[in-house]
Amino acid sequence: MTQRISALSNYFLRSLLLSLTGVIYVLLGFAYWLVMFPPSQRTPDASYYILVLAAFGVGMTFLCTLSIASRANQGSHAPWIVRLPSRVEYLTAVLVSAILMATVLQLLLALLALFHGPDLTLNQILFIPPIWLALNTLTAVLALHATDFIAAGWSRVYLFGIIAVFLFGQSLNDKSGLNTWLILRINDMSRSLVSAGWVTLVTPLNSLVGWLQQDGTSTLSRFFSLPFWPFHAIADAVVMGSFDTSQALAPAVLLLYATLLIMLAADIFANKDLDLTE
Amino acid sequence: MIEINNVTKRYYTLTALNDISLQVPPGEVLGLLGPNGAGKTTLFKLIAGVISPTAGKIRPSGEVWPKIGYKPERLLFPNHLRVSEYLHHVARLSNTPGPQINRAVQESLERVNLQSAAHKKIKECSKGMRQRLALAQILIGDPPLLLLDEPSNGLDPTGQAEVHECIEALHQSGKTIIMSTHHLQEVTQVCTHLVILNHGQIHYNNNMAQAMAAQSHIRIRVNKPLEEFGQSLMALHDEVEVTGDVIYLKGEAMNMRRQVLVMLLEAEFDVLRVEHKRISLSEIYAEAVQ
Repeated sequence: MTQRISALSNYFLRSLLLSLTGVIYVLLGFAYWLVMFPPSQRTPDASYYILVLAAFGVGMTFLCTLSIASRANQGSHAPWIVRLPSRVEYLTAVLVSAILMATVLQLLLALLALFHGPDLTLNQILFIPPIWLALNTLTAVLALHATDFIAAGWSRVYLFGIIAVFLFGQSLNDKSGLNTWLILRINDMSRSLVSAGWVTLVTPLNSLVGWLQQDGTSTLSRFFSLPFWPFHAIADAVVMGSFDTSQALAPAVLLLYATLLIMLAADIFANKDLDLTE
Repeated sequence: MIEINNVTKRYYTLTALNDISLQVPPGEVLGLLGPNGAGKTTLFKLIAGVISPTAGKIRPSGEVWPKIGYKPERLLFPNHLRVSEYLHHVARLSNTPGPQINRAVQESLERVNLQSAAHKKIKECSKGMRQRLALAQILIGDPPLLLLDEPSNGLDPTGQAEVHECIEALHQSGKTIIMSTHHLQEVTQVCTHLVILNHGQIHYNNNMAQAMAAQSHIRIRVNKPLEEFGQSLMALHDEVEVTGDVIYLKGEAMNMRRQVLVMLLEAEFDVLRVEHKRISLSEIYAEAVQ
């Protein structure tokens, strides 16, 4: 299994690196360095260094995953897929090669950015790998779910729909005005139901409006914000310069999300009808 | 080796395969014939596991799935690779031990006569070379089940003959082969079993030798209508048919030709013509797909 996965990962990595897309990604990394870490001026802030390079890693992982998944989804690889004892090996190779490519570019950029960059302490250097790797892995899996390579039927609509609902939900607080908008829409619905004669349904809707006007929106907002806690925790820890006990769990929670999404991707990919591009 | 039980495959509203059942014993060379859109490629994809059946099951006769060498209909390759590089990748995916990879690649190139193109980029190869490369890749790793979707398509007559030799050699070495083709002659040359698909259903399924024998018949023409005597001839065997002044002996009834001729002469009929008509594969095919 290891031989097969490494052979496939090696193939995907080489085919991307030696393609025009691969060259563009390298140039993109170089441009990012010039813009975010201009060599003519010093970048003393370690948190800036860690977060800006983490953002680069996320973006590059996303792009690499899309590119490699699109290559992996070509009909020319059908005889290879048929030879594998499990399709999950193929999926693993795609994931590994995308994360490897992006992480290598990220590390190269990190080395370049050290030129006139911050003087990192050992403590800061030690908490870089879990943050970057967790973010890159999660991004790679999310990007995979967005591709035709993995998606089957409405799978990506469901997955990204749920994420969108949570993103929308966490904005439900007094400051955003979303709660006012939501209350107005529910009131409109109540009026429509009254005019349609569905009076029995109006009472629960009115109770909902009452709850939202008191502390309901903040409760909802807290509920929807919960899955995004690791991101806030990592950002806070990087800015503060150290992880507290709970924040130290954040990268692990991101890896847990990634693991669940990988399992979902593996299940979809193992059972879908392959629609390889020709 | 493979059992296909009541398999149906639907793509939205289109039924590509409709309730087909088929057994492929080990060592068989099964020829799949059928017009375009009959469902041949869908059946290949199902056996290869690229797609799953909507209903029914495909399962191995043994406990585990045999390793499969698959040559798809379309000759698609990673064009940026060289021929030998491509085969090296196939060898690694087939669990060929590192030190044996070079030899496995070399052997597969020799078997399809492609050694001269080993260092050529795939995008520079002719259609014939690509067809051979597709065959070379299935040989690596020694898979017992080979799926060949139109293996000689696009090859010149010499190339086709070489492919037939290759398939024959693979058959002799005990491989189970399922191949589709539009060349009827190819089927008679290399296949041991014939299946004709049309509109997603099996319209013909027979052993090749039996297929050819079952469809032939003996036709005897006499000088006058047989009338009541025809009834006594038909009573001899189920496969004796009489129409006007013609007698047809089919299947096992062909062995009764002497007896029938003697009866005709004793009944004072003049035998005008005796023909042993062999039905060609194209006639079997035409009848099956009509």
